[in-house]
Amino acid sequence: MAQADLNEHRSMLSNSVTNFARGVDLARVRKLRDTNAECDRAVWTQMAELGWLGVLAPEACGGMGLKLGDMAIVAQGLARALVPEPLTAAAVLAARVLADSNNDTLKSKLLEGLVSGEMLPAVAWQEEAGSLDVNNINVQATPAGDGFRVNGSKRFIMGATSAEGFIVSAKSAHGMQLLWIPRDTAGATVQFDRLADNRQAATLTLANVSVPKTHIINSGDIAAGSLARAIDHASAIIGAELCGIMSRSLEITLEYLKTRVQFGKAIGSFQALQHRAVDLYIQQELSSAVLGDCLAVLDGEPDAKTRSAAASRIKARCADAALLITRQSIQMHGAIGYTEDCDVGLYVKRAMTLAAWLGNGHTHRRRYAKTEILEGAL
Amino acid sequence: MNAAATAAKVDYNAMDDEAFRREARAFFENEYPENLRFLPRRLSWVESKPWWLSLSKKGWLAPNWPVEHGGMGLEPGKLIIYWEETERAGIGRMPDQGVTMVGPTLIRFGNEAQRAQYLPKILSGDNVWCQGYSEPNAGSDLASLRTEAVLDGDHYVINGSKIWTSMAHHATNIYVLVRTDKAVKQQRGISFLLVDMKTPGITFRTIRNIAGHEEFCQVFFDNVCTHKDNLVGKLNEGWTIAKGLLTFERLNIGSPRRPLQAFEQLDTLARAQKLFDDPGFVDRYTQLKMDLNDLGSLYQRYVDKARRSEALGPDISMLKVFAMDTYQKLAELLLEAGAEYGAYADEVMLADEKIDLMTPFYTSRPGTIYGGSNEIQRNILSKYVLQLPN
Repeated sequence: MAQADLNEHRSMLSNSVTNFARGVDLARVRKLRDTNAECDRAVWTQMAELGWLGVLAPEACGGMGLKLGDMAIVAQGLARALVPEPLTAAAVLAARVLADSNNDTLKSKLLEGLVSGEMLPAVAWQEEAGSLDVNNINVQATPAGDGFRVNGSKRFIMGATSAEGFIVSAKSAHGMQLLWIPRDTAGATVQFDRLADNRQAATLTLANVSVPKTHIINSGDIAAGSLARAIDHASAIIGAELCGIMSRSLEITLEYLKTRVQFGKAIGSFQALQHRAVDLYIQQELSSAVLGDCLAVLDGEPDAKTRSAAASRIKARCADAALLITRQSIQMHGAIGYTEDCDVGLYVKRAMTLAAWLGNGHTHRRRYAKTEILEGAL
Repeated sequence: MNAAATAAKVDYNAMDDEAFRREARAFFENEYPENLRFLPRRLSWVESKPWWLSLSKKGWLAPNWPVEHGGMGLEPGKLIIYWEETERAGIGRMPDQGVTMVGPTLIRFGNEAQRAQYLPKILSGDNVWCQGYSEPNAGSDLASLRTEAVLDGDHYVINGSKIWTSMAHHATNIYVLVRTDKAVKQQRGISFLLVDMKTPGITFRTIRNIAGHEEFCQVFFDNVCTHKDNLVGKLNEGWTIAKGLLTFERLNIGSPRRPLQAFEQLDTLARAQKLFDDPGFVDRYTQLKMDLNDLGSLYQRYVDKARRSEALGPDISMLKVFAMDTYQKLAELLLEAGAEYGAYADEVMLADEKIDLMTPFYTSRPGTIYGGSNEIQRNILSKYVLQLPN
């Protein structure tokens, strides 16, 4: 796409997100939260119709075949409105893994379904907290029939509450297997744990689950490479969500500083609060600069090392900045900030969930140190 | 042929960026004195002069001035390349107030006679300028300055004193902000005057800075006369002039390259002392490295803006705040990581490498104070960007 077309396209995308987010009030978010639901399938379908679930998916599968820079606009806009539907889990993480599949029949069923909103696949790859290594897994796939028998369990699966099935990574004699396991498969059980923002992290336990050959998404080094890239891309888009969270939280807080009166004047006239607000603003601007810079790197499809470094830069900065800003938003609101009714609480909780998912700031800095600092230094 | 005429021959802005970069790099690498590279302090005038003159001869002394005044007339994109290559080559900071401040001020606010009188002497190195802004009782609150100038016939008579005047002891001229109207709001009664340092009534004392260097002075004015033609701009409009030039300078101050030099010391130390085996050190090192990279992304955003010739707003203050905070943290980590050596005043030899632990600490300290302290920058951001109430 030419630059002018791209700019026009991005501004259309941004407008559609803004319009949508304006219609989504936080009452719906609160209501969903109270029922422990995180995905209203009617809203999900609407999001699909607006094209957002297919931003990254190739045109052959009904998607738009656009870039992470485009996806970030959608993710950031929806995060500002605290939309709880699992956009990044499905439209980035799952969509990326599926797009790389050579199993055309399965790919078209799952990816086209994902793009149209009818099929919600959740990626189940992680087993150990604080790990970003796709090969750090114990789920085993042993040959059985024309496919595999799979045993083990997966944790920290996002976007699973209304998912139709799981994309599971497993070790086999021939390297990694990425397998499609429908939710109702015999031997597969799902258990949910509530997260800070009332979304759910799933644990999938697989006991002698049969997976036919037709459900193999990808195998070997290609599977591992595809998964690692999908995780980096999802981490980057989570960074965009965190940017949306921090910017809205800071906006609400600045408005409060300008209107809340104590000691006969707006509290925003006090230098102690002004300087703190400025430091939060600087963190917000740093986050957005890093996001923009590194998304451009990622969209250039660099080698794996450069890609992971860029993703880690985004996630580390955005996670820490969002946590700082949302926590300080509570502080600057005073007692009202500590109440259930105050919206800043919703933002701090979403920030916590997003910061922790797919590696928090510390995990990403540790990974960055390993490849970008220590390997060169020694 | 004078410098201005040489420079006018080449339209650098029409050059390809990379070609310009290559030319700048080659020139700075070949011509700049080896022994003055990457010095952790400013250069004295005596040290600077040969380089000043070679720049002048090539027509490269004033990259930011228009060609008709003897500058290179660089557009922002090329100017940034010039700066980048200066930093890359480790070129020291000269007593450059004439080039960075006086020239642009006269070009923008001065009159033809003033430009004709002063600009060529800056290029030739005959005039070395210093800046008289701060006073003993007007630092962060610069607008409260009290050095006053009263018109008496054809001359302004100046009384008062200026402080933290960098390199005043090597300067031939000083530009001062003076109070010319006490009856109006502080900012409105300030004027911008040019003064010859040899004028009777001017005395100065050098001030030794915390690192032990005589870098700045206090300058005293006792009935000092300067001709009324040395008023720049209109009477009582000095504040606007002083403010108008700072924004673009803040871009340079926010460059991530200066802290990068301190990183080289830290790398050397870490290798010599096997600090990369210490996870606690690695955590802090990584945090700062990523802070610096992120500063690079933020800096690049402003560079791109300047390249598109967009105005740089007051939000650019954030660059200075974050750059200088990061620089100081880095210098502090260098001292802590040095353990006992972190208290050594001079260079130490570790694993056959010379490491200077202390200098980055001293060099990084004034960055959060000069040119509007970080607290003042935060006030600016609060007022003009976040629009928080007074």
